[in-house]
Amino acid sequence: MATREELSEFLAGVERRAFKQAVFAVRDESHALDIVQDAMMKIAEHYGDRPAAELPLLFTRILQNATHDFFRRSKVRSTWVTLFSALNPDAEPDADPLETLEASGDTRTESTETSYEREQIVAIIEEEVAKLPARQREAFLLRYWEDFDTAEAAAAMGCSEGSVKTHCSRATHALAKALRERGITL
Amino acid sequence: MNQDEFGFRVRQALNDGAERLDYRTVLRLEQARRQALGRQRRAGPATVRLPALQLATAGAPPIDSGGGAWGWLRGAGLVAPLLALAVGFVAISHWQEELEIQRLAALDFAVLLDEGPLEAYADQGFGVLLQAEQRADR
Repeated sequence: MATREELSEFLAGVERRAFKQAVFAVRDESHALDIVQDAMMKIAEHYGDRPAAELPLLFTRILQNATHDFFRRSKVRSTWVTLFSALNPDAEPDADPLETLEASGDTRTESTETSYEREQIVAIIEEEVAKLPARQREAFLLRYWEDFDTAEAAAAMGCSEGSVKTHCSRATHALAKALRERGITL
Repeated sequence: MNQDEFGFRVRQALNDGAERLDYRTVLRLEQARRQALGRQRRAGPATVRLPALQLATAGAPPIDSGGGAWGWLRGAGLVAPLLALAVGFVAISHWQEELEIQRLAALDFAVLLDEGPLEAYADQGFGVLLQAEQRADR
């Protein structure tokens, strides 16, 4: 059974990566924090008595589920927003919801322009990782950031080891190509 | 560069980014962690809680007395009403005794102040005479 110290140490070691992964998925730091907090609460409340060795896989699953829940809630929320804005005569009929998303991307780019070269490279890599298709990103991050082997990644993602390898390979090629196009060679 | 090597370099960059999180985010993550640890589920031997008045008998499951100050208070909660009851009985008994003493003292006083001789009260006929007079007054 994981002691309080073991759980604390585990969460402290994983929280920043978890936050970044959530940011890659939802592209909003505030929502990402909520997701990570939710995942932390769940693992402590429901799986706090499990052996420490099981925590990484459990936490990965919980984080993924929390992220999926966020998207489900967003979908429901946006349905209601669309419904009410259709009823509101003052709403602009041609308003594009993607405009807001693009604006936040611009801000990020501006901030990296004023940073050091290393920070710029890191930011670009993060940006390109975030652009990967969800399953490819998950597989790539589990294998190369979370240090999961293929079997563990497959268990965490609920798919076969072959699928993990395929996702990883595609993610690597897509990422390398995108970075090359932006002038970054690793 | 092979896939693993590329993955390793991306990992370095991602670690770098994770290390550069802003102060507020780090603080919020710490708070979330502390909050989660406060809710950690604990596994342990299940203890059976019995009401304070239900005493354990041989072979019964162990009673979780609660321990410490709370256990002492729970014990005091059982003893205090019994103690209050005993004190009440003693007080009522004393009060009754006092009333009886006062009644007898008043009687003695009345007898002493009365003009009739003391022997008259011991005379059976005098008692009958008094009762007859009382009946006549009504």
